[in-house]
Amino acid sequence: MLEARGVQVTIGSKEILHSADLVANAGKLVAVVGPNGAGKSTLARAAGGLQRASAGSISWNGEPIERLRGRKLAKLRAFIPQRPRVPDGVRVQDAVTIGRSPHIGPFQRETKADRDAIERAMERAGVTQYADRLLTTLSGGELQRVQIAVALAQEAPALIADEPTSHLDLGASAAVARLLRDLADDGLAVVLVVHDLALATAVADEVVVVSDGRSVAAGPPLDVLTGACLADVWHVDAHLEAGDAGHTALHVAWLRDHR
Amino acid sequence: MTPAPRFAARALACALAITATAAAATPATAKAPTRIVALTPFTANTLAHLGIKPVGIGQTLGGHDKLDPALKSVKTLPLSHPAGPNLEQLAALNPQLVLSTPTWQRGETAMRKLGMKVVDVEPRSLAEVAVDTKRIGALVGRTAQANRLATQIDRGIANAQKNIRKHPTVLLIIGVGRTPYAALENSWGGDVVKKAGGRLLTRGLRASGGFARISNETVVERDPDVIIAVPHGAAGDIPRLARYLKTNPAWKTTKAARNKRIYVSTGNSLLQAWTDAGRTISDVRRSFLKN
Amino acid sequence: MPLRRLSVVMIAAVTLVAAIGASLALGAVSIPLRDVIDALTGNLDPGPFKQIVTELRLPRTVDAILVGASLGVAGALLQGALGNPLASPDVIGVTGGAGFGAVLILLVFPGSIALLPVGALVFGLAAAAIVFAVAWSGESRGGIGKLILAGIGVQAFFFAATTATMVIYSDRVQSAVFWLAGGLVSEGWTNTEAVWPYFAVGLIAAAALMRPLDRLALGDDVAASLGARPRLIRLIACATAAVLASAAASLVGLLSFLGLVTPHLVRLAGGTPSHRYVVPVSALVGATILLVGDTLARVVAAPVELPVGPFMVALGVPLFLWLLRKTV
Repeated sequence: MLEARGVQVTIGSKEILHSADLVANAGKLVAVVGPNGAGKSTLARAAGGLQRASAGSISWNGEPIERLRGRKLAKLRAFIPQRPRVPDGVRVQDAVTIGRSPHIGPFQRETKADRDAIERAMERAGVTQYADRLLTTLSGGELQRVQIAVALAQEAPALIADEPTSHLDLGASAAVARLLRDLADDGLAVVLVVHDLALATAVADEVVVVSDGRSVAAGPPLDVLTGACLADVWHVDAHLEAGDAGHTALHVAWLRDHR
Repeated sequence: MTPAPRFAARALACALAITATAAAATPATAKAPTRIVALTPFTANTLAHLGIKPVGIGQTLGGHDKLDPALKSVKTLPLSHPAGPNLEQLAALNPQLVLSTPTWQRGETAMRKLGMKVVDVEPRSLAEVAVDTKRIGALVGRTAQANRLATQIDRGIANAQKNIRKHPTVLLIIGVGRTPYAALENSWGGDVVKKAGGRLLTRGLRASGGFARISNETVVERDPDVIIAVPHGAAGDIPRLARYLKTNPAWKTTKAARNKRIYVSTGNSLLQAWTDAGRTISDVRRSFLKN
Repeated sequence: MPLRRLSVVMIAAVTLVAAIGASLALGAVSIPLRDVIDALTGNLDPGPFKQIVTELRLPRTVDAILVGASLGVAGALLQGALGNPLASPDVIGVTGGAGFGAVLILLVFPGSIALLPVGALVFGLAAAAIVFAVAWSGESRGGIGKLILAGIGVQAFFFAATTATMVIYSDRVQSAVFWLAGGLVSEGWTNTEAVWPYFAVGLIAAAALMRPLDRLALGDDVAASLGARPRLIRLIACATAAVLASAAASLVGLLSFLGLVTPHLVRLAGGTPSHRYVVPVSALVGATILLVGDTLARVVAAPVELPVGPFMVALGVPLFLWLLRKTV
């Protein structure tokens, strides 16, 4: 569905991404991992069309992203930013309705189909019970799931989530992880930018490692995130262990200086 | 000489002797000031009429009225809000007395600190012109001349009011623009118009400062015969200002508009006092009120 | 529409209609209600009463509605586009520019007094254009921070220029003081005829911007995800607000209080930040407040006309504070 090759992004005078690849397919969850400042978010944003790429090719279902504008792209992919704005006075119901806007014409009102889609999105994300709550009264985890509901209201076959768990506690992170995995199992193409390698290993079908502006590895998590890779890219002595039923653990020699 | 006049002559001689002694015995500080600055056209001209040449006069704001020719060579001080003259320029003239107005109140404290005597003289009505003339005379030690001048002024004012045949309703406004900032009875201009036989549209209203923003509805209702505007601007602006005022749609139905009696007054004789107050009244009668 | 929002609209609408009636029936001159109605329906003989009702009060009422609505809408657009509750036409430099344009004509070129509304309008738009030109440069094109800072800078510049002009021409200052204090004038239809197209364009554009602005609520990234173009929406919204505020200033001087407070009143009373509610209701409430304020300013000390600013503040602020106390 998504095919991004050799993506180069320059912001201001700095070249953030030199050359990176990213592929996403329906029913699969791709985790994009890497150290801070490596360019993970930039790659995800470029792939999603929120950031212009200065070189490389990005295409959705074969169509180059330059030719996909506005609503067309909105019906193909939904983007969930890392730190969304939480405005005053807006209820969960209103926010998810905003997510439905690509399907509502300029002077049209919401139809029954739209209202149903909004209901479905809230249910899928598990936030129906918060429908009348103000966004400002939600906890971090609840808010993140509302963000996912907003994206689901777009009814796009692909979802790009930029570090949705970075600021959440353990329980909330697990809930979001479960939700995203379920969505992939339902048939969505999910791209997840994430820090937590254990979480990535548990939910992802494929992992892309971004380091210093390049994608240096791609493949199944356990194949890619070897001890050598972790040492190379993150400069730590660590290794991943995976059990069944998504039970993963990251073992780190925290106090050993590996340089 | 008959007995009564002889007695009077002797009484007069005694009085004179006493006065002379008293004058001789007065301390030196009561001597009349010689270095005087006059900040308004009225005070400057009055001094000139009293035969005194001030060391400095204020620049005449908002008008092209001529000062007494005797003042031609006198140094002019530019005036600006709110303090009036530049303090350094004023100090350089070293005046003993400054004749000022409440407009420059902010600067007067500083002037007094420099040791100058500052007196506000601003006649707000025609009756005050003679009174203030005498005040100036007393301040500068020309009481006799001032009294003569005051009498002359009052006579001029009285003469200018003779044979008033008509009493048109007059709206007197200042500033540019069509919203009437109207002169009330307790302003200089309002008093001049009243004495010239006009009935002010704003009669019955009072406000401090003598001006008020009047509703155009009142103008339409009270239907003035004459509208006199005193706008600011250079000579070249006056024709366009006049045209703008004459085409004010709000005044369309008034007698003033229909009879083409909307006038623009140049100069500032309707804004502040002038020594030749009688002339001001005659001018108003002749040019505007036509009575 | 939920009951709460509906009742706010109904109350505002009823008050507006009453205010229109009061504005036409009351004034410095007492005109019997019978004659007011006759004048409006064309049944009154020509004379001072007819002149007053149709040429003085009617245009002034229309001006008040146009200006009040425009300022309310301009404030709502700006607060929505910039995501900042303190946004008002001041922030994009319009008030400073318009003030300078007016003072330039009143004090420096009084002969061109007929061009006063045009001067205020042109300089208001020019100031906004400078703000946009600065804010739209660089990579953070249309970002909120740059826009607000540019607005503050341009505003300060024009206010300083205005003050300097007033000091240099201090003997002519009185005319400028009234204009700057802000207020409507009873001058017939000429000024309205000159600027009504700007109001029309601005209000129509505002109607079209309501949905797009709602899409900015969750941030620029979510808006982009939805296929909207947040920076373009922001630019058009600010430009529309600039046009509305400049046109308003050209008629009534500087009355920015309405643009700031009206949208807040509407949001607090109606309980929703959605632009599809706030924009039109701000028009309604803004028009009502200005009309009531102006009627009071004309009547309270008649035949003297007082400035309308204090009356609007007296009406709007207590209501605003009361609503503020009631919210969580």
